[in-house]
Amino acid sequence: MTALTQHARYIFNYHCLGRPALRALQWQDRYRMWRGRQQAGELNPLNALVNAKWLLSRHYLQGRYVNGIKKVAWVTSGAPSEILRALGFYLIYPENHAAICGARKLSGSIIEAAEHEGYSRDICSYARTDIGALLSGKNAVGGLPKPDLLVCCTNICQTVLYWYKQLAEYFKVPLFVIDTPFLYEQWQPHQIDYVKQQLEALIATGERVAGRSLAPRTFEQVLLRAKDATELWLQILDMGKHRPSPITAFDEYILMAPIVDLRGEQDCVDFYAGVLRELQQRVDTGHGAIKQEKLRVLWDNLPVWFKIGRMSRFFAERRVSVVASTYTYAWGEIAPLLKVDQPLDSMAKAYLYPILNRSAGQKLDAMVRMSRDFSVNGVLLHSDKSCKPYSLGQIDQRDEIMRQLGLPALLLDGDHNDERSYSNAQAQTRLDAFIEMMEAA
Amino acid sequence: MSLPLPTRRDILTRQRAMGQRIAAVFPQFYPRELLRAYGFHPMELWAPPVAGDGGATEHFQPYTCAIARAGTAFLVQTATTDVDLVLVPHTCDSLQGVGSVLRDFIRPQSPVLTLYHPRGGHAFDTNFLAAELRQLAQHLSRISGESVADSALMEAILAEEQADAALAGLYQRRDSLALSDGDFYRVVRSREYLPNDLFLALCEQLPTQPATPPTGIRLCVSGIMTEPMQLFDELNALGARVVCDDLACGARRLYADGCASDPYVRMAQRLLSTAPEPTRSRGLNERLAYLTQKMKAHQAQALLIYDIKFCEPELFDIPHVRQHFQTLGLPVQHLEVEPGNDLSQQTRTRLQAFMEMLK
Repeated sequence: MTALTQHARYIFNYHCLGRPALRALQWQDRYRMWRGRQQAGELNPLNALVNAKWLLSRHYLQGRYVNGIKKVAWVTSGAPSEILRALGFYLIYPENHAAICGARKLSGSIIEAAEHEGYSRDICSYARTDIGALLSGKNAVGGLPKPDLLVCCTNICQTVLYWYKQLAEYFKVPLFVIDTPFLYEQWQPHQIDYVKQQLEALIATGERVAGRSLAPRTFEQVLLRAKDATELWLQILDMGKHRPSPITAFDEYILMAPIVDLRGEQDCVDFYAGVLRELQQRVDTGHGAIKQEKLRVLWDNLPVWFKIGRMSRFFAERRVSVVASTYTYAWGEIAPLLKVDQPLDSMAKAYLYPILNRSAGQKLDAMVRMSRDFSVNGVLLHSDKSCKPYSLGQIDQRDEIMRQLGLPALLLDGDHNDERSYSNAQAQTRLDAFIEMMEAA
Repeated sequence: MSLPLPTRRDILTRQRAMGQRIAAVFPQFYPRELLRAYGFHPMELWAPPVAGDGGATEHFQPYTCAIARAGTAFLVQTATTDVDLVLVPHTCDSLQGVGSVLRDFIRPQSPVLTLYHPRGGHAFDTNFLAAELRQLAQHLSRISGESVADSALMEAILAEEQADAALAGLYQRRDSLALSDGDFYRVVRSREYLPNDLFLALCEQLPTQPATPPTGIRLCVSGIMTEPMQLFDELNALGARVVCDDLACGARRLYADGCASDPYVRMAQRLLSTAPEPTRSRGLNERLAYLTQKMKAHQAQALLIYDIKFCEPELFDIPHVRQHFQTLGLPVQHLEVEPGNDLSQQTRTRLQAFMEMLK
C-alpha cells in the first residue's frame, strides 16, 4: 500500500466515517444510560462512563488505520509515555487491551490460543491475552496496529520484560527496556541517575525510530498536560472521601483508561475536568455512586475484569460502596512528582515511584493511610494469581490492617483476566461473610 | 552418593569455628567476594528442605515458587540463630516479594539486605551495579563493624576469579572426570556453600580417567535447579548422560574475569558477564543462538527443560525454545517439578518415555 493510499484510507475511515459514527454511538449510549437509570437498581452510573468509552473507542479506531501515518509504539502501563508522545508516536497499551478483552468476556478463548502454543497457565493472564490475541487474530477493538518500537518499563513487574521479549521476537522490532530499581526503602541518588540515563537513551532511540528530533517545546507541553491530567485524576480519586462517595472503584477502573492510554493529550485533560465537574455536582447535591451507601470498602490490587459489572452490582445491592483502590491511585501518585522545569529528573523519580515498585511495607502504609482518609469499614485484598508483585505480601498486609486498624480485611482469591482461577460461588460466600463482619464491627 | 563431600552443616560449623559470620543468600547473582571480604561466608538457599510448608503459607500464597517459600520457611523456622545476614538479590518478582516480606514483616533477628540487578541491557548498567555494590558494602561494613580497603577487596576478587576459573575448568574437563552426572553436579553445586580453599582442593582431588566422550543419549539440561538430585541417577539409569547445561545453579553462573582496576566496577563486570538467560533483557534470539551453539559443541541430542513450578521467567521462553530446537530436529522435553518432593513416578514415566523416543 502506498503512502498516499494509506493516508487516504486513514482520513476516510477514521476522520470521515469512524469519528462521526462514534459520535452517533455516544449519543445512543447516553440515551440508553438515561433510560437505563430506571433499571439500574442501587447503582447510579456516571455520565462520564459514556465519554470514557467514546474516547477509548476513538483511540482504538485511530489505531486500526495508523500504520504508515504515525510511528507506533507498544508500551507498558507504567512507561514514561510523555517522551514518545512528544515524538509523535501513536501508543498502544497491551495491558489495557487485555483488560478490555477481560471486561468483554473475550479473554477465555484468546488465552486458550496462547496456551495452545505452549504458554503456561501459570504466567500472567494479561500476557496470555495479549500473546493469544496476536496468535489467534482475535481482539476486542477491531485490530491493533503493528508496532515500530516496544518500550517496557519494569516499574510494574518483571513479567513485562519476559512478555515484551516475546513481542520483540514476534514483531522483529526493537525493544527498549527501562529498568527501574525496586525501592525496598527510599530512593537513592544512583537509582535516580540510572533511570534518568535510560530516559535519555529512550529519547535517542525514539528519535531514531521516529525519524525526528524531540522538540523541547512539544515535550514541555506534553509533560504539562500529563501533569494536569494526573492532578485531575488524583482529585477525582479523592472525591471518594466524601460520604456518600460519588464514585466507586469500579467506576475508576473504567475511567482510568485515558490516564493510562492518553496521558499527555489535551483530550485527556478535558475529559478528567469533565469527570471532576460531574462528581462535584454529585457531592453538592448529596448523590452517591450507589443510592444508599451503608458501608465503605478499600480494594487492593487489580480488578477481576471479567466480573467487574457483576461485582459492582453485588456490592451496590448490599449498600456497600467500594470507595477507593490502591491500583487506580498508582497514576495519581505521580502528579506531584512531575516537574516541567526538570523534566527528566522529575520523570525519573515519578516512574520509580509507582506503588508496585515499592516495598510491601510501603504499600501497607499507603493502605492504612487510605483506609483512614476514606473512612472505610473494611479492606478487600484481591489475591491475584496473575500478578505476583502485587499479591506477594498481601497475607501480612491483611494481618497488619486488622491489627493496626481493627478493620475486617479479606483476602479474595482470583485473577484479573483468567476466569478459570476464580470461583463465583466461593467468592460470593466469602464476600457475604466479609460484609457481615463489617456490619457487626 | 559416591563422592564424599562435606555437608552444609559441616561447613557452617567449620566457618563459625574460624570466626566467620554466615550469610544466607537467595539465588541467583551476587558478589561472593564482597561478602567474603567483610568476613561473611555465603551459603545459598535453593529451596532448602523444610518440614511440611514450614510456615511459608503464613506469608505467601500457594502460587509462589518453592525457592521463595522454602527459603523463607527455612529462615523463619530453623536458621535464625545460624545466620548473621540474609541477602536477597532481586532475581524476579517472587524474590522481590521475599526480600520485601522478610524486611517489612517477618523481620528475622539477622539483617536482611537486598541487591538490585540491572536488566535493561544498557551500557551504563555496569556503573549502576557498581553503585549498588558500593551501597551493599556500606551495609556490610555497618553490620560487621569492619572496613575493607580496595586492595583487600581486590585480593578477594582475584581469589574468587580463581575459584570461578576452577569451576569453568570442571566443565571443560568433564569428559576426563570419573564422575557420574549426579556427582559432577554435586561438585558444581558445592560452590553454593564451600569456601574457596575447600572448593579448589576438591577440584584438584577429583578422580580422573582417560578423556572419553560419554556414551548413551547426550542431553542438555536447562532450568533453575536440578532437585531432587536423584534426577541424574534416574537419567543415567535410563542410558542418558548430561553433557552440558543451561542451569541457574550451573553454567549460567560461569562468571568471566573482570578487567577494571576499580574493585566495584570489576565485580559488576563479572556479574554481568554471564551467558544469556531469561531474567535479563538480552533477546530470545541471542539466548537461542547461545543454546544452539552449546548443544552443537557438546553434540547434545536433546534438551530437557526441568523447571520449578510457577517460575515465570523460565516459562515465558518455553514455546520459542521448544519450537526452535524442534525445527533443528532436536527433541525437547519440558518437566515442571516441586523441588521439595522426591522424583515423582509421573516425572519418571515422562523421562522414560522421552528416553525411549530418543533411543
